[in-house]
Amino acid sequence: MKLQHYLGGLEGLGPVCTDTRVFAEPWEKRIFGVHVAMMALSTQTSAPETLSIFHTVWVWADLRKGAEALHPFDYFKYRYYEKWFGGILSYLIANGYFTVEEFDALADQYYCDTAKPLPEGGDDTIDALVERYLVEGDSPRRDVSVDYRFAVGDEVVVRNVPSVEHTRLPGYLRGRIGVVETVYDGAYTYDCDTGPDGIGAAMPVYCVRFDPADIWPGNAEPNFLIYADLYDHYIEAPAVAARAA
Amino acid sequence: MEDLFNYREDREAYSAARMRALEDLLIKKGIITDRTVDTVLDFFETRMGPFNGAKIVARAWIDAAFKERLVADAPSAIAELALPEGMAGAEGEHVRAVANAPGLHNLILCTLCSCYPWPVLGLPPYWYKDPTFRSRAAREPRAVLKEFGLEIPESVEVKIWDSSAQVRWFVVPERPAGTESLSEAELETLVTPEAMMGVAIAKAA
Repeated sequence: MKLQHYLGGLEGLGPVCTDTRVFAEPWEKRIFGVHVAMMALSTQTSAPETLSIFHTVWVWADLRKGAEALHPFDYFKYRYYEKWFGGILSYLIANGYFTVEEFDALADQYYCDTAKPLPEGGDDTIDALVERYLVEGDSPRRDVSVDYRFAVGDEVVVRNVPSVEHTRLPGYLRGRIGVVETVYDGAYTYDCDTGPDGIGAAMPVYCVRFDPADIWPGNAEPNFLIYADLYDHYIEAPAVAARAA
Repeated sequence: MEDLFNYREDREAYSAARMRALEDLLIKKGIITDRTVDTVLDFFETRMGPFNGAKIVARAWIDAAFKERLVADAPSAIAELALPEGMAGAEGEHVRAVANAPGLHNLILCTLCSCYPWPVLGLPPYWYKDPTFRSRAAREPRAVLKEFGLEIPESVEVKIWDSSAQVRWFVVPERPAGTESLSEAELETLVTPEAMMGVAIAKAA
């Protein structure tokens, strides 16, 4: 179990941060731009070929896996884009785009000489593709025939699936009973196959309503409701859950 | 939380140098160009940002039928407006809007990461990405909102939307009282990203 999957409801954390800035330091903007470019160049999109040498898949799930793999204390210790930077750097090295020695040597140079200019050049098709990705997006919706197991108003139980590396199931909802609020039209893939956790292939998604008083009995504020968008694999009918118990 | 941890004294200079080294390698190896990062940043400064969300909300305030369509089918309603190309682009492919009303306050959350409707609101602010907010808002939303300076009495129902699949959510705040004489363009200036995520309400200037 990863703390990062169970943040909802965690206590004892002190006051929230109310900082409305998007970026805390100028360098953070650059890593954001790099991430978007990698998403656009990722080979699973149906994008046209460019002259970029990027030849692997980079999706949100890759970034999320990196953050979820961190020591939970480090997850709280590092700022958002510090975590992004670490994940992206590790990925690029692991996929052979450059070596850690190459990177470290260059980082030393830029550290000692803050005025050292970046190299110039690159093919315009790369930037055109990045812009195309931003404008067109990459919808996970797939036109496949869909078997909706649940309808609006149905009671469902959240399964306790084995989430090994990565999940889109908020931990605080596991085992809880909710009511289907919305059945989303169509079927939705996820970025990657999460293995025994069970998402990846196109499947329905439901918006499910939960009563916080059931999730944290006697220990939640009154008069509020939680709604979560849950992939079909994450929920089952109460009778099925009872038989399995 | 910051004071609980030890950080390098040169934390930011170190990160800045490493970032430059990374961008250097990506350009030199032919993965991106020397313009790519600026192309992305320019896109969010000029085309995808909270200025789009403000236009959507202002229209909902002056046109009740539009607001109804927005809540029922946000992508179609948004497509009616003259907004930049790409409102259904990256992180805007599947958006939903929820409207505040007397006795009802909505709050958007992503307990697993930081899902955010980019074309409508641009990029998420630090408070939204913070693990403390994401942990606490799920169990004690009013206490959290109070820390943002927003008092929501117990008599007002709070609905929390945890973004865990394909949908990117935003809130249509209520139109502030005393704004009847304002133009649509003037109303837009009252709409903040925080109000469109539910940690604030829209206020008359």
